[in-house]
Amino acid sequence: MPTVILLDLSLSMTRPVVSGDNDFQRKHLAIQGVSTLLDYLAAHNRLEFTALVAFSSLWELVVPFTRDYKELKEGLNRMDDYDKTCIETGLAGVSQIVMDEWGVGLPCQVVLVTDGSPGVGKGSLKESLERFYSSQHHHDDLSTDGDEFPLPFPFPSKLHLVCLANPPEVQGVLGQLQRLVDMNGGAGGVYLPEGELSMATCQSLFSKLAETQFPSVSWTLKCGHMSSEVQAVPVVETFKKTYDFGPLVREPSLQMEILGFLDSKDIASPAVISRHLVLPKPTKTEKEASEGESGASGEGDGDTAEHDGKAPSFCVLLHGSLKVESMVALVQLGESWYGFLYSWADSKKKSNLMLSVLEPGEDAVSWLGKISQLGPVASSPHNPYGEDDTTSPYPVRHADKRSYAQNTTVWIKPSGLQTDVQKILRNARKLPDKQQTFYKELNRLRKAALSFGFLDLLEGMSAMLERECTLLPGTAHPDAALQLTHAAKELRLAINKDYDDNIAPLQTHFSKSDND
Amino acid sequence: MAAEGNAPKIFPSSHKTVVILDHSPFMAEACGQTVDFDILPKSRAAPGIIPLAPLAKSLWTCTVEAASEYARVVYDVYPPRSRDKLLKFVITDTEARSLNSWLEEEQSLSNVLQGLAVVGPPSDSDDAENCSVMHGLAMAVESLCEGSEKQLEHKASLSDPEEPVVNKGRVVCITTVKSQGHIQMLEECMQEAIVQHNKIAEAADKLPITHCELVLIHTVPVGADNNIQDQPNKEVSSLLSCEVHSVHSGRHIAAKLALLVQKHFHLTSTTITGIPMKEEQNASTSANYDVEILHSKDAHIEILKMGSTSQGYDSSGFACSKDSFGRETVILKWCTPKTNIVELQYCTGAYRITPADVNSRPSSCLTNFLLNGRAVMLEQPRKSGSKVISHMLASHGGEIFLHCLGTGRSPLEDPPSISEGSGGRVTDYRITDYGDFMKENRLMPYPAPQDGQILPEKEAIAVLERTTRYWPLVISDTIIFNMASHTDPLPTLITKAALTEDEVVECQKAIYHLVGMESRSEPLPIPAMGTRGKGPKRDEQYRQMWAELDTLLRAHASTSINHQKVLECLQEIRRPAEEAKESSRKAGKKEEVVVKEERVMTEQSTAELAWQEIQRYKAMSERERSDFERGNTNNDHFRHRQQTEVSSPPIKKLKTSLEDSQGKQQGGPPSLLAIWTSRINSKYNSRHCEFAGRLTAEGNKAELYVNLQKDGTNGTSDKPSGVKQEKRGP
Repeated sequence: MPTVILLDLSLSMTRPVVSGDNDFQRKHLAIQGVSTLLDYLAAHNRLEFTALVAFSSLWELVVPFTRDYKELKEGLNRMDDYDKTCIETGLAGVSQIVMDEWGVGLPCQVVLVTDGSPGVGKGSLKESLERFYSSQHHHDDLSTDGDEFPLPFPFPSKLHLVCLANPPEVQGVLGQLQRLVDMNGGAGGVYLPEGELSMATCQSLFSKLAETQFPSVSWTLKCGHMSSEVQAVPVVETFKKTYDFGPLVREPSLQMEILGFLDSKDIASPAVISRHLVLPKPTKTEKEASEGESGASGEGDGDTAEHDGKAPSFCVLLHGSLKVESMVALVQLGESWYGFLYSWADSKKKSNLMLSVLEPGEDAVSWLGKISQLGPVASSPHNPYGEDDTTSPYPVRHADKRSYAQNTTVWIKPSGLQTDVQKILRNARKLPDKQQTFYKELNRLRKAALSFGFLDLLEGMSAMLERECTLLPGTAHPDAALQLTHAAKELRLAINKDYDDNIAPLQTHFSKSDND
Repeated sequence: MAAEGNAPKIFPSSHKTVVILDHSPFMAEACGQTVDFDILPKSRAAPGIIPLAPLAKSLWTCTVEAASEYARVVYDVYPPRSRDKLLKFVITDTEARSLNSWLEEEQSLSNVLQGLAVVGPPSDSDDAENCSVMHGLAMAVESLCEGSEKQLEHKASLSDPEEPVVNKGRVVCITTVKSQGHIQMLEECMQEAIVQHNKIAEAADKLPITHCELVLIHTVPVGADNNIQDQPNKEVSSLLSCEVHSVHSGRHIAAKLALLVQKHFHLTSTTITGIPMKEEQNASTSANYDVEILHSKDAHIEILKMGSTSQGYDSSGFACSKDSFGRETVILKWCTPKTNIVELQYCTGAYRITPADVNSRPSSCLTNFLLNGRAVMLEQPRKSGSKVISHMLASHGGEIFLHCLGTGRSPLEDPPSISEGSGGRVTDYRITDYGDFMKENRLMPYPAPQDGQILPEKEAIAVLERTTRYWPLVISDTIIFNMASHTDPLPTLITKAALTEDEVVECQKAIYHLVGMESRSEPLPIPAMGTRGKGPKRDEQYRQMWAELDTLLRAHASTSINHQKVLECLQEIRRPAEEAKESSRKAGKKEEVVVKEERVMTEQSTAELAWQEIQRYKAMSERERSDFERGNTNNDHFRHRQQTEVSSPPIKKLKTSLEDSQGKQQGGPPSLLAIWTSRINSKYNSRHCEFAGRLTAEGNKAELYVNLQKDGTNGTSDKPSGVKQEKRGP
């Protein structure tokens, strides 16, 4: 997930680390620390995007989101000194930068590096928090003024507040900083150097932050006995969501176990919570080998071939076949938690294996049915894909139909009723050919009138059918008049009859002769 | 944050809603609006026909229509099978009647409509004095105390059985109140009912109400005096809140409930503009229509959140819909559909929709278009004129979904190609074979497993486990999978969970076929890739092939006894080769024969051993051969022959002697071996010169190795009878 590094460049950051030593400012510690973090990211998460933002009473985007860590480091060296600390402004800047770049759906990490001086006056941390709480109390739904507090961020995020100070200096501020983290949903934390502030403690602080918050996680991609060590980029996050009946937290199991395969068109485009590149993980020996030109061939050489750059990887085979066949592999990521792998191409030349993570639960894709009830075709006596691969068991159809998929009667607007009446009359004029449709529509109207307690309509419709009977042309089939008279009579009687007592066509000797 | 207040909460009141319809005689009054139902088309406006008088709907009819529409929207967007949003209809006059329960099977619009038909419209002649909406309120409270299926499941899942289940609900009551005081009275009645029922509920096995929201809708005929004011939501007590909506009947009450259903169920409206539709009369031209749909607010979370910062988004994305009832709708533009949208879209959400006006012609045109399997992209109108496709409408299994597409920049852009990573330089992956494997391992939906049945998902994992026990990734690592026409159907059959006797024979047949190939020294399809120099000699190739087949069969031998049988078949055939190696080493005929492992053997010795093996097979007598093929090589007669033969010079024979004998035989499996053997022998006999010793001997049987028989003492004693063996023929 993208990272924003928000660096405090207020004047207080120019304070010397050790009093009297003017060459060595807190700002230098911050730059050195951020540099450590960037080195770590470059080594372990080089596909992630990072942006560098400076703030004081204003904010400035120093380096926009990039994978170019050299550029980020150069940005660090261009830092000037500005006026006072105004964390609220900095956070608002982050919010805007992330929204402009990624929208609101993508989780981001925000690393705020400050010296723990909360600022003074308007825009100071204390004043910001007070203003936030007072607005909470007044709870004004209509407040649309631009002064909304930037937390919580509109996108899912972790907020890490790194406070470069000797712990005793900032006792009063820590609580306020922690409150910021809590306001943002609690993910992240406040970090202080262990021991006295120095270059060493500062570096170890950033190293720890990098290792704990930007881990490089290894997954096992598995299909029966075939497997590959892979890395998911970005990292698959722990799933947290509050449902109607309580919160759900799911940890990724770090094993992508393939359950089977589906055609791309069958999985359609389900809602996913995140997407990740799945990259085969190079082994240590392979890294070494790739530095020199390895001349050994990978064929039949036993164990040594496993670590060769040319050693076959299941992950690559899977990608190739998924791409050729336009299929997806359904994988299990945790307890009742699924995703699917497919070939994805950013450009025409480069394609990759992609993991789309579904929301945890058996019903994540309604048109597949319950996922745990998907089983192998081999176990079924007949193949639902057909002999020539032209049929499919999907989408799974549910027994209950939605209102738009059946003939729902709504007469709130007069046009609804008029259309239904006209449809009956149209069919009435084509009796006896349209006899079946005529009675079907007539019964639909009868049922709706009974349900809505609109009994006058039955009377009215009946009168209309009688009139229609008188208007029949001389060429009309004799059965038409008989059916119309019958229907008109039955419609009147329906008022006192059962809802399910459908009006049946009159058995005339015309219809009988038709049947014979 | 603009969207914050709209976020769904835990234990929402919308889980259970009781809709109370006042069925008192007053509701039989006309609603004040009439409906022209007899519209004469101009073509039929014959002189003398007077259209029928417009009909007057009653207050009851308007109420029922509006409430049914409320239910239609809820059941469309939250299908009853998800059991998330439940409705219960209660009719109240001199008593209260409920039309359905919280159970899933009673949650449907048709069920409610049928119930309403049974109740019928109120009658003027009913006893107005004893009619009261209070009966309905009491029943609503009682109903809310009944746990829904989900609530009961939740209760069962709680670790602490004493922990109370949060039981919230909403009561929508449509009635006509007499005065402000009447409202007060209803509130008090409701409050009292909750307190009383909660007491009972604690004793009985019911759920006390945590909080109830009463939505009172006061309705009067259109044009009638209305002295009741709207009242915003206020907390009557910690258990009850109440709000009052005062509306005229007719279309006004329907509009009010349409507004409330959005508010109550976290819905919002989208209008799709510019849908081209052919005119019925003039099919060559098309006009553009708008269709309004309702769906969960979450489908617009991006617009709502981004709207609050007004960055790049057109604030006119929120435009008032035309009906002037104060509903807001998001405008999205129809994009001419492409022929097929089969590619996977990056979709951040998919929400069920329902048309706001289900049976209007534009709505049904759109829904039918989608239900027929087409999908359409929707675009956000923006000031800048840039085109942003943010949504997609598509149906799946008879339900229409609004898909939200990712519009922001992707953090996955410009990744390294998979061919640049580990294993990316390998070029001979078995892509086609794995493609076939994937097709064979596609998933299909199964019914829920019964007790004791394995979950289909677990079954799928088991099948993959079986079918991948031996699966070389690249072409150059395998021989047997590159010669499918020769090995079939063995590789497919052997991965099955169970083998029938017939299938075992099929597998054995495949193995014999390979034996035949080897004896004819047919070239094996060894890929040129990955081999250095000239590559292994043919005999070495066969040896590798047998070793690979052995690996495959060994991997599956544990599946069942019949799988084991197939492996045994191979082992029996291969044993002579193994034993030949052993004996050749013991005999010391070959120099520098090092048999460390199967894989590390000098090419020369292997070649020679294999050669000897073939020759030996050819040289077998009829009975020995049938023994050999039956896998019965345990008799000493056979063994003697082996031991001696390896040291004797190979018998020269026409190589073509077996050439045509190996064609795939048709026929019943039990007799196949016999047919095969006899056919080979007949050809064989016709072509080769008979052994001189046999020609001269008695009964065409030459006594071989006379010296050995004489020297060996144990050889003759337990020699099995040849007659006995022949009886066991196939």
